[in-house]
Amino acid sequence: MAVESINSQRCNGCGICVQSCPADVLRMDGERKKVVIRYPDECVVCCWCIAECPTDAIVLTPTRYNRIFTSWG
Amino acid sequence: MDAIRDLKKYTCDVLVVGGGMAGCFAAIKARQKGADVILIDKGYVGKSGQSPYAGSFMVFNPQWGHDLGAWMEQINRISEYVNNREWTQLTLIQSYERYLDLVSWGVRFHANDKGEPVRFPAPSGVTEQLRFEENKHGDYVQILRRQAIKVGVRIMDRIMLTELLKSKGRIVGGMAISVDEPILYVFQAAATILCVGACGIKPAAYPPIVQLTGDGEAMAYRSGAEILGKEFVDVHISRRDIPAGIPNMLGRKQTIPPGLEGLQGPRRGGHLFNAEGNPLPPRPEGASRYMFTYLETEFEVHAGRGPITTDAPDGLKEMTGGACLGMSLRKADGLWPADLEGRSTLPGLFAAGDALGTMQNGSAYALTGSAIASSAVTGTLAGEAAAWEATQMVERDIPLAEIERAQLYVLEPIKRKGGFSPQWVTQLLQNTLMPYFVSYIKRADRLEAILSLVMYFQEQLVPKIFARDLHELRLAHETKNMVLSAEMRLRSALYRTESRGNHFREDYPHRNDPEWLAWVKIRLTDGRMELCKVGIPAAWYPDLNKPYSERYPYRFPGE
Ligand SMILES: Cc1cc2nc3c(=O)[nH]c(=O)nc-3n(C[C@H](O)[C@H](O)[C@H](O)COP(=O)(O)OP(=O)(O)OC[C@H]3O[C@@H](n4cnc5c(N)ncnc54)[C@H](O)[C@@H]3O)c2cc1C
Ligand code: SF4
Ligand code: SF4
Repeated sequence: MAVESINSQRCNGCGICVQSCPADVLRMDGERKKVVIRYPDECVVCCWCIAECPTDAIVLTPTRYNRIFTSWG
Repeated sequence: MDAIRDLKKYTCDVLVVGGGMAGCFAAIKARQKGADVILIDKGYVGKSGQSPYAGSFMVFNPQWGHDLGAWMEQINRISEYVNNREWTQLTLIQSYERYLDLVSWGVRFHANDKGEPVRFPAPSGVTEQLRFEENKHGDYVQILRRQAIKVGVRIMDRIMLTELLKSKGRIVGGMAISVDEPILYVFQAAATILCVGACGIKPAAYPPIVQLTGDGEAMAYRSGAEILGKEFVDVHISRRDIPAGIPNMLGRKQTIPPGLEGLQGPRRGGHLFNAEGNPLPPRPEGASRYMFTYLETEFEVHAGRGPITTDAPDGLKEMTGGACLGMSLRKADGLWPADLEGRSTLPGLFAAGDALGTMQNGSAYALTGSAIASSAVTGTLAGEAAAWEATQMVERDIPLAEIERAQLYVLEPIKRKGGFSPQWVTQLLQNTLMPYFVSYIKRADRLEAILSLVMYFQEQLVPKIFARDLHELRLAHETKNMVLSAEMRLRSALYRTESRGNHFREDYPHRNDPEWLAWVKIRLTDGRMELCKVGIPAAWYPDLNKPYSERYPYRFPGE
């Protein structure tokens, strides 16, 4: 996984990263007002989210695993 | 599963789809001409698409000593003569006004002590470009977003246009989905401008095109518009260890977080070596960097001299191809322009930016900085022409039957109980097209074999793609569009029986001027994809009395 985790202590729920993510990986948990990683497989490690997060709440690693290729799916 | 319950209808004069450089210019200019404008983006206007990544902006200005004839001569030659000279010239001539627009809206360019813009020479030749000033508080596209809002454009983010709506042969708007809310959006417009950017198939190495899946071309083609330029591939390479070789992106952050340094792409200027330790041959004078440097690596690998490495100072050194898989050479592919104002061949439908096939750079990228400048120029032209059309008595009503037809199509994947996931079909497509001997070094037998696979995807898998939620509904439509685009790419590559610029055919390694000073046009006829050849005007031919080697400084392998 590329986007690893969100530090929910730090996340202030501003939603900037949700706007920035080109792959719809991140979503706002409306009740908690915290960001969650909803579709991690889609992360393309573009770094928009970490570049824009005002509180450095997002943990991103350069590692990216490809989906295992199967005969149907 | 999110059941889509509501249908929301919006009415406007001009619907602009996609909010990069082209879409923002189109929306602002249409609004300034008095039109009521809605601008939608499947991402976020000001952050999505390729526009935020562009660094250099080509400006032609006779007052800076620029000579139109010399610029045109260089571009015609590097683009191997199949550039559309009318569009090339228009982009040059109008680039200065668009630069002035940007400056007046607050976009900053590198300037000297006197406040004059610094002009950077473009590689090999007479042309020049300006550079966007690094902007630490957001980039210039966000300035465009603010300008659009200021002039009264209605912006709607995270809405994907999914199907065009037609009435009496005219495009009267479109149907869109949201990833956030279970709502179908119907936009009713006197004119629709597709500014949806380039068309890729989500290659791992090029995040800027992850949401650029050829939606515009696919929707337009299904509605009867014509498409071109699919045989000229983008040939960028990347470093094997970096999933995202995009240095300018991380440049936003003052310091690169520890552990992520390796995400920086290969430093510019690094040399490439084959496995025998020999440098790749130097680029012949007058050949396009974007064609030569990158295509050459594919040839080396094909000859068994891979892997290719770089002497860039940081990180792993091994290179790999296919960085922009699925994408065409900038401005080559897109909607066939019916005029010089961004109209497509379908009434009511316009295109601008990367979505319009201006062919201004012909078959090989000739003019750095011209892609983003052209998005501004074509956005302006289309925006103003669309606003004018909205003042005419044109058809605007959307018949109920048309809404029902589109609704069935758009919702089909989410209504299915099972089938194939869009992720799997996308992966299949990527794996099928990725090998160098399919997308870059082409030959009839291989193209036919791959086309038969892609037609299987088209006929057997695509109709069975299913979506479990709204996120997947977007993926489902993206995947359908990417498969269609792959078919266009393969058929065009088969059809063009010569090599030229970024299109290399192993079985036809020469440029064939008597036959192929022409473009390949695609359209839907009786349910089938039909291709035809359209010759460029004879006045644009190179001097055919000159020897071949003078017309074309670059030799393909096998010539
Ligand atoms: C790293 C990088 C560096 C570059 N450097 C330069 C440079 O220095 N000089 C230069 O001239 N060019 C450069 N380019 C190319 C240039 O950025 C593009 O040609 C240009 O930005 C295209 O602008 P556009 O407005 O046509 O499309 P884009 O900016 O790509 O915008 C398309 C928009 O359409 C939206 N969209 C797509 N499909 C839909 C849909 N179905 N519904 C709603 N919205 C949709 C997307 O979300 C996106 O926001 C560079 C590109 C990259 C990636
Ligand atoms: S940008 Fe940072 S602070 Fe804001 S919502 Fe995202 S993770 Fe939270
Ligand atoms: S790195 Fe890019 S794709 Fe991944 S979560 Fe962040 S913004 Fe989204």
